[in-house]
Amino acid sequence: MKKTLFAAALFASAAFGAASASAAPVTYKLDPAHTSVVFIVNHVGFSNLFGRFDKPAGEVTFDKDAPEKSSVTVAIDTASVDTNHEKRDQHLRSPDFFNTKEFPQMTFKSSKIEKTGDNTGKLHGDLTLLGVSKPVVLDVTFNNQGVSPASKQETAGFSARGTIKRSDFGMKYGVPAIGDDIQILIEVEAVKS
Amino acid sequence: MSDLLHDPFIQSSLLPLAIGLLATGVLHLLRRSLAVAAIPLTFVAVFLLVVGLPALPPPSSMGKLFWASAAGLVLGIVADALGARGRGAATLLAVWFAASLLWIALPALDGVGPAVTLLLLLGAGGWIAFGSGFHAPGTTPSGTAPSGTAPSGGATGPASVLLALALAVGGTALIGSSASIAQMGLALAAAAGAFLLWNWPAERHGWGLSGQVALGIALLTAAVLALFTDSRAVVLILALPALAAGRVRRLLPLPETGLGRAAGAAAVTIAAVVPALAALGAAFVLGGGEASPY
Repeated sequence: MKKTLFAAALFASAAFGAASASAAPVTYKLDPAHTSVVFIVNHVGFSNLFGRFDKPAGEVTFDKDAPEKSSVTVAIDTASVDTNHEKRDQHLRSPDFFNTKEFPQMTFKSSKIEKTGDNTGKLHGDLTLLGVSKPVVLDVTFNNQGVSPASKQETAGFSARGTIKRSDFGMKYGVPAIGDDIQILIEVEAVKS
Repeated sequence: MSDLLHDPFIQSSLLPLAIGLLATGVLHLLRRSLAVAAIPLTFVAVFLLVVGLPALPPPSSMGKLFWASAAGLVLGIVADALGARGRGAATLLAVWFAASLLWIALPALDGVGPAVTLLLLLGAGGWIAFGSGFHAPGTTPSGTAPSGTAPSGGATGPASVLLALALAVGGTALIGSSASIAQMGLALAAAAGAFLLWNWPAERHGWGLSGQVALGIALLTAAVLALFTDSRAVVLILALPALAAGRVRRLLPLPETGLGRAAGAAAVTIAAVVPALAALGAAFVLGGGEASPY
């Protein structure tokens, strides 16, 4: 009898513990090897050029049961801009665009998450670029969460899309020939800290 | 028309040339000693067109370059209107230049390289203010020019030096994929060219503090290029001897006649352009000779 009561108590505490663990937000670190921060900019009306940042870093605190309680902070090394053309990248690093010597990082800090569907939402936050902070909204899709068969680590995956006006941040050079509207595509894999 | 104004080639050549020609003429009508202020005025106007009006206080080096240039323009106009000259005017110029340079350079002073660049540029600014031999309006190396004539050793020499320096800065920036700095350097060269056209074949204007400010602006633009971009701006050291080109004229035994002055101006121009071309050549070789495709 004593053994049965002990087993029941152990089961109850384990079950309660598991339930509270699943409800708690979990902090993940961005995996730079599987995170892409891509932008698309119109080039003189002829084409849309893709570029990316090779050094993103940050944290996602994700609550699967209450996604609106989640939060995101990201810092991107602006000097890691890469458009597959070194001379153009030099120009992008200059004061005409990202001014990387004076502003080596751009950051995003979420302020609110709205749930819009089973696995979609709107991520509100402040983007700070060239020393200017402006509110932006990204459409976010939660892709997957669990142990990655590749890394064997607890992993969460998200996609985000949005558009900003670079001139809002004081990046006016070349507008309108080099597009003012910048599409942002973000694919994130984040690993449990 | 709007497309034309947004064309980078027009913005950095024909437009500043036209603004420079017009501004020199208008300022000449207002007061002859103010005519040289057309050069910094054109720089500020083209900056507004190319980069836009920077915020105040400016968050970046380019914004600081604009406001420092605007302050220099006001300083030059006031000083030239009041006829300021001599050591007092030179000190005023040196203070403006040193304050502007430190304001721009401060965020980049994180090592020996930027510190050496700062010291070199401070030295060059000091040379412009005190050692270049460029003179305030109405003065000559030996005193005051005769009434109604342009001063001997007047505007042509320093304007040629400015033209050469600004071309070196603009060209180096262009090769180093810093387009707006390239445009501003080339616009400054075009403004100097417009001023030179007004002073050819006969010199009509003095150089004045506004002209000295224009030379300072060329150095401040070089500072932004050297400290805040990936350009091989170290090659601009090769262009610095251009600042001493004004001394060449003193070494030549040329008569104080129209022909002698023209020959002196030509010698100064050559002495200024050669170091600038050397800097451009070095930038081309080191940079692979390819500019940004945007």
